[in-house]
Amino acid sequence: MLAVCLLLAGAAVFEHFTIRSTFSGVLEELAALTEKTEEERANYEDARAVQRSWEAKKERLQVLLPHNDVMRMDNYLSETVRLVAEARYEEALPKLEVLTHLAETFPAAYRPSLANIF
Amino acid sequence: MVLVIIRTAVIFAVLLVVMRLMGKRQIGEMQPFELVITLLISELACIPMADTSIPLLYGVVSVLAIFVLHEGVMLLDLKVKPLKGVLSGKPAVVINKNGIDDYQLKKNDLDVSDLIESLRAAGYFSLDAIDYALYESNGTFSALPKADYERMQTSLPLVIVDNGRFDGKNIALTGLGRPYFEELLRAHGVKNVRRVLVLTADGGGKCYLQQKGERFTTFHVQYPHGATW
Repeated sequence: MLAVCLLLAGAAVFEHFTIRSTFSGVLEELAALTEKTEEERANYEDARAVQRSWEAKKERLQVLLPHNDVMRMDNYLSETVRLVAEARYEEALPKLEVLTHLAETFPAAYRPSLANIF
Repeated sequence: MVLVIIRTAVIFAVLLVVMRLMGKRQIGEMQPFELVITLLISELACIPMADTSIPLLYGVVSVLAIFVLHEGVMLLDLKVKPLKGVLSGKPAVVINKNGIDDYQLKKNDLDVSDLIESLRAAGYFSLDAIDYALYESNGTFSALPKADYERMQTSLPLVIVDNGRFDGKNIALTGLGRPYFEELLRAHGVKNVRRVLVLTADGGGKCYLQQKGERFTTFHVQYPHGATW
């Protein structure tokens, strides 16, 4: 029983730090892309770099998070890549806004708060 | 993950309280917390297995959390005596030397028919054949028969009045009619049938009568026209 308790506690700590560090990395990348998009300097390669980085992180995250939640990030990111590639910056910015919001709120959604428990 | 563990613990606690409140009839040979675990564990294992959008880890974590909760409850059950009654419940003595304990029956969501059914399943057909009967905390039924109980079970007793109501089907089986039993009750000081917890009558003329809140009595009658069953 003690071993299982330790295993669960260890897994919980690992999950907490993995999600937090992964999404803080994603947030930094999104912030850089948003800045470039606002200045209309972003190109397809910039957006693809963020997408590739996310896809690498996603592999690990899917072990910890519901796949549908992860897929929401995928969808918005795909749209952003296309819009940036076509230089439709005005339309890409709201998508980036949503992505930033998701990356900010995901770690909080898995925190053991009263709202999340019930 | 912490969220999954806490949510599992909350559902476990809620189910355990509900199972305890539902009484012994719902349990059936398991302690309440064992039944809760049985109910939960299959769902917890199946949902992530069937729904690929949920990480399998959620199922594993929930099942492990259930294991920890089970061990925790077992530990409390063994080490903290006052908690044993709260977690697993206590045996309910539903028949004692005074007859059926109506309060205990109601407390465990049971009625006289359930009790008589349990008695029959245990091999006792006559209410006066046993001194004590208990519903154990795991829902099983135990009875302590009188020394000569086999001699008392010569004919099948039929329930004539069950909790203040005449049983029409059983009265028809006796072939005696409701007025006969109304008169029988009056002759034994019962003014209102609603006051009767149970009246049984067997084919040999032995009757078992218990009014609510009173001690039972048994008496023999001679049925008219030599009726028997």
